[in-house]
Amino acid sequence: MENKQQTDSVPAEAGSVIHVAPSPHLSDTALTTQRMMMDVLIALAPVVGMALYVFQWYAVHQLVICVASCFAAESLFTTMRGKPITLKDYSAAVTGVILAMSLPGTAPWYVGVIASFVAIGIGKVIFGGIGMNIFNPAMVGRAFVMIAFASALGATGYEDALSKIDAITQATPLTAFKQNGIVAPLADLFWGSTNGSLGETSALACIIGGLYLCIRRTASWEIPAGVILISAVIGEIQCLVNPQAGWTVLHHLCGGALLFGAFFIATDPVTSPLTPKGKFIFGIGVGAFIMLLRLFSGYPEGVMFAVLLMNGVTPLINRWTIPRPLGSAK
Amino acid sequence: MVDMNPLKPLQPMPLSMMQYFRESYIVQGWLVLMLCFFFGGTLSGVQLKLNPIIEENKANETKQRIPELLLGPSEAQQPLDLKLHTIEVEKKGRKVFYNVYEARFADGKLAGWVTKAVGQGYADRIELLLGLDPNAEKITGVFILDQKETPGLGNKIVTEKWRSQFAGKETKQLLTVVKGGVKADHQIDAISGATISSKSVTAIINTAVNDLKGKLRG
Amino acid sequence: MAEQPTASERFIQGILPENPVYRQVLGLCPTLAVTNGMKPAMTMAGAVLFVLVCSNIITSLIRGLLKPHLRIIVFTLTIATFVTIADRFLAAFMYDMSKALGPYIPLIIVNCIIICRCEVCASKQGVFTAASDAVGQSLGYALALSSIAIVREVLGTGMIFGYRVLPEAWPDWSIMILPPGAFLTLGLLMGTVNWFSERK
Repeated sequence: MENKQQTDSVPAEAGSVIHVAPSPHLSDTALTTQRMMMDVLIALAPVVGMALYVFQWYAVHQLVICVASCFAAESLFTTMRGKPITLKDYSAAVTGVILAMSLPGTAPWYVGVIASFVAIGIGKVIFGGIGMNIFNPAMVGRAFVMIAFASALGATGYEDALSKIDAITQATPLTAFKQNGIVAPLADLFWGSTNGSLGETSALACIIGGLYLCIRRTASWEIPAGVILISAVIGEIQCLVNPQAGWTVLHHLCGGALLFGAFFIATDPVTSPLTPKGKFIFGIGVGAFIMLLRLFSGYPEGVMFAVLLMNGVTPLINRWTIPRPLGSAK
Repeated sequence: MVDMNPLKPLQPMPLSMMQYFRESYIVQGWLVLMLCFFFGGTLSGVQLKLNPIIEENKANETKQRIPELLLGPSEAQQPLDLKLHTIEVEKKGRKVFYNVYEARFADGKLAGWVTKAVGQGYADRIELLLGLDPNAEKITGVFILDQKETPGLGNKIVTEKWRSQFAGKETKQLLTVVKGGVKADHQIDAISGATISSKSVTAIINTAVNDLKGKLRG
Repeated sequence: MAEQPTASERFIQGILPENPVYRQVLGLCPTLAVTNGMKPAMTMAGAVLFVLVCSNIITSLIRGLLKPHLRIIVFTLTIATFVTIADRFLAAFMYDMSKALGPYIPLIIVNCIIICRCEVCASKQGVFTAASDAVGQSLGYALALSSIAIVREVLGTGMIFGYRVLPEAWPDWSIMILPPGAFLTLGLLMGTVNWFSERK
């Protein structure tokens, strides 16, 4: 916006003069928050579609609750801070959709509402609104409800033996493996017919959406690359150490929220480092924490905590990876 | 001999007795010392007066539970004579001590045994009381004294509903934890979402039963 | 030396304008640790009231005898004595509460609120002023503890003082009675207090 105003203020006769403006030098004026958020929403479409197909009303219910609550929270909190309401940049919608996709379909209504209000209020507005937050808002909201309602979001919260939908009557693949050593078929994990958080089940949908984001450069490819690389390495080591379990590298990658987290959650430009090198380190960190939590903690899945932990060290990574200007002293 | 060097370096003046006295630590700290004596006296008075009550509180914490653990809540009012034994168990070259209460009815008949058992839970140590019948063949009850399990999940081990499963279980077979409904006598239903806490409590009970079985004689 | 505040000024200041938690941001460790319910919070406030009043009075009585380089040791000695007395009394007459509060009663010894009041007020002013200062500060502390505890206990368990105030269907927000809830509640309440006092 500012760039545009400056260009407008240049007198017409100065058209032949090279215009010099202070940074930031936005080469593409179309690159706005709104466009980025629209991109994310488009990329989420296959994930949402798959969730609607597998979980049906559960997904609709959770999506409506989370998106509506995020909009309500955004308007309420920005008004309280005396700022213009920023619903038009769709960031609240993105937070809402990602949050809904990261919750189990069976979670009661208040879980979605509280998670949304915490995500927008404590995760974002309290730090000064969009662009200022340290932690990924959707994950802050999810972490809050995860600890607050341990029984609704713990391993057993995902199951409902009486549900009409097959997927929900089973344990999530990671829980089934962790507790009983049952290995889910790889095809199910890839297409997404297993139980789990709404958006995480289908690896295919996450890859399609993620590739779109990376091609559009809305998400930086370095982050998912780092996550997938290190998870594959640690997964392979785990396989070599314990090959009879039958849980291969591909199970590690396709199962749980790893791909969803790598493409949609970790890539949030506000809470991830700025430089390509930093982004890669960030991705490595997220992947390593995910595998650490999966293999050694009491939780079956660790994407949320991994992303939040790495969000915390993002300023540090930024400081490490300041690019050195050409010709400066070593 | 004449002093050829009248300008002598300055020597510190020797302290007079009075000054020396005033600079000494004892005098500087007289208030602190006085307060120490005064406060020390007060505290020992308080300790003398209150310690018996505190010790009794500590003992009661365990003792009050014993009738309920052995006889069930309906007959918990019945008075029992308690006697504390320390039972030593040799385990892998290491000695383990159990504090076991021997409970007798007023007429001298043995009511049962109550022991304190400790073990690792999901979050921290779990301390519990385990009641056994006179021949140590059946568990009569379990009470959790101290735990720090996850609120909302693991801390349900303290609920009467879950604990009461243990009452009446036989000690000849080890207890196992199952999920989704008990199918056999020696099984304990896990708390949903807190399998580890459930298993920890059961393991503590199994260990204690195994260690003490055969050592409890009326 | 500047004019010292009078007894009534000291009393009023302690409650809100110089609230130990919200204004001076002192004694936060117990504030975070014991506020998961109204009962432990109020017991803690009571213990602090007792210790603060007693040590302020003693310090004020002996203020003429204090030597500057030995004053802190005298304060600590006085505070430690009264904390031990409070701790023993709780263990004797409120055993469950004393177990629930764990190390936080003995830790009043290192609670900066008390040594701060000894230093700022009691070692400079008369017994009556020191006592009213102690009561004022303790009330301020109790106010802060209860405001945090009430939010945490109601949201976390649906109860106040162990009595149910919200319907049974209330889903307990376990996070509120866990440490993160303490930090969030304290932060949000402190923000609210600042927001209101700035608008005045």
